[in-house]
Amino acid sequence: MLDLRVPSGLFFLILGVIVLAVGLFQPDLRAPLTDVNVNLYSGLSMVAFGGFLLLLARISVKK
Amino acid sequence: MKLAAVDYVILAVYFGFVIGIGWTLRKRMSTSGDFLLSGRSIPVWITSLAFIAANLGAQELIGMAASGAKYGIMTAHFYWVGAIPAIVFMGIFMMPFYYGSKARSVPEYLKLRFDEKTRGFNALTFAVMTVFSSGISMYALGLLLHLVLGWDFNMSVLASAAIVLAYTYLGGLTSAIYNEVLQFFLIVAGFAPLAILACDRAGGWKGIVSRLPANMTHSWHYMGNASQNPMGVEVFSMVAGLGFVLSFGYWCTNFLVVQRAMAAENMSAARRTPLIGAIPKMFLPFIVILPGIAAVALAHMTSASGAALYELPTKIVDGSVVKDYDQVLTTLMARFYPAGLLGVGLTGLMASFMSGMAGNVTAFNTVFTYDIYQSYIKKDAPDSHYLTVGKMTTVVGVLLSIGAAYVAQRYNNIMDLLQLVFGFVNAPLFGTFLLGMFWKRSTGHGAFFGLVSGTSAAFATWALTVAEGKGGIFGNLYTFPSTMAQNFWVAIMAFVTCVVVTTVVSMATTPRPDREMEGLVYGLTKIRHDEGVVWYRRPTTLAVVVLVLVVILNIWFA
Repeated sequence: MLDLRVPSGLFFLILGVIVLAVGLFQPDLRAPLTDVNVNLYSGLSMVAFGGFLLLLARISVKK
Repeated sequence: MKLAAVDYVILAVYFGFVIGIGWTLRKRMSTSGDFLLSGRSIPVWITSLAFIAANLGAQELIGMAASGAKYGIMTAHFYWVGAIPAIVFMGIFMMPFYYGSKARSVPEYLKLRFDEKTRGFNALTFAVMTVFSSGISMYALGLLLHLVLGWDFNMSVLASAAIVLAYTYLGGLTSAIYNEVLQFFLIVAGFAPLAILACDRAGGWKGIVSRLPANMTHSWHYMGNASQNPMGVEVFSMVAGLGFVLSFGYWCTNFLVVQRAMAAENMSAARRTPLIGAIPKMFLPFIVILPGIAAVALAHMTSASGAALYELPTKIVDGSVVKDYDQVLTTLMARFYPAGLLGVGLTGLMASFMSGMAGNVTAFNTVFTYDIYQSYIKKDAPDSHYLTVGKMTTVVGVLLSIGAAYVAQRYNNIMDLLQLVFGFVNAPLFGTFLLGMFWKRSTGHGAFFGLVSGTSAAFATWALTVAEGKGGIFGNLYTFPSTMAQNFWVAIMAFVTCVVVTTVVSMATTPRPDREMEGLVYGLTKIRHDEGVVWYRRPTTLAVVVLVLVVILNIWFA
């Protein structure tokens, strides 16, 4: 049976990397009402979440 | 709002994954049970999140932000009063019968417990309802994408329907459920930043409280009198109408949500599914409602140059300008999200639409295949035949939804009417299930006539009262302060009538022998109390935790 943590982990990793890349390469990108680099922070958290899911999947395979 | 290339890339990646999941699961679909019921084999954390996500459609997201801006924190009653108690009840008291009876659907449970006509009534109304509700939400999405992004209505409706069809056709209920989990994560990832940014900009909860009228930041304080709160409802109709009749009717008897729990791998997991799902559910208001409330505060604030930070969107109705609350969510996204995060937010919106629609389609095909086709059209075919029918029904369900979306676009009034009728049909349902599961004396005739008279009572209440110019087609005995109050009272009347009529008719008809109802009725069913399970994994422990948390939330924002 497909372990859902693998595709969801991969998905958030890819999504996070894309958003993070925007945050890194266009650090001055702002919406009218934001004054922080939100792409950077949300990209980082999505990478972390994706990595966490993949890690969980890895651990359960080793068991 | 304009999208950058990166936003389209994010959307494309998401579509790729959604279809990929369906493609990977396609080989497991060898029986109708695999396709329509997931073979009862899905881990509990997945069914729990799917349980919540199937209900979290695009209309819900858009509507909750809109209600947040219109009614304030009182909107959270739809979660803390109108969902959590019913979800807990379903997990603890009703799941043993649904899962233990081996019924494949909610209408089939009615057939086992009562009789054929009660099942037929429920199956037919449910099938029609799912098609129209997925059509209506498709219409809402198409309209919004057109309004906000200038996308073509036809294109957005057809493309999103095609993707839902692809993954539900390939992987059936399992694919729908798996994708619902991904969609749930994505909705959180896409909208949590909006809540944080908007709330922060408005000066936090304190800043919001200082800028809004007090009755928008207290959920219970102004409930004593309907004229004092923005919803126009008083505490009794809120608790009895929404908190009891409507929410128990929805969460405990709607196959769309019950189906997710029934796909769990065993009885204990099936009972824990709603309870675990309740935990994220009760915190969703902070993601879906809070941005709407913050929007009102932002509209009261000005930048250094003196311009308002945000203006509530408006539309023109009959020549006058009125607030268009449905656009609050998307206009906020445009104000707070730069390219990149905007793509994530928009993908989250698409994901919510898809989870809602796939939920409807997978419930529709199961009810049609088992409760209509196998019961009334072709009884004794080999299983492979029903698998084919299930797959065909998936296609037909999507096509009918598209049709319904266009009906909604052309004849808005028909859709309003239909939603009204569905409300009448749904309102008494919980009465039937309550008596069916907990009173062994209730009979099939009792249930059927209870449902029919409850539905009629709902209609009569609506036709004899007026609220905001709605209802009252047969006269006006009472005027409600708001349509919401009217809806709640319609439900209360329907429920009471259903319970009274079911009881009276049941007493007058022959009861079924006890041995036929084993596993279907409380008192004739051995409910396992999970002795072997660690205490913290037991359903009752979870239920207590959930209820304590929800009481704290209610008091905190009272």
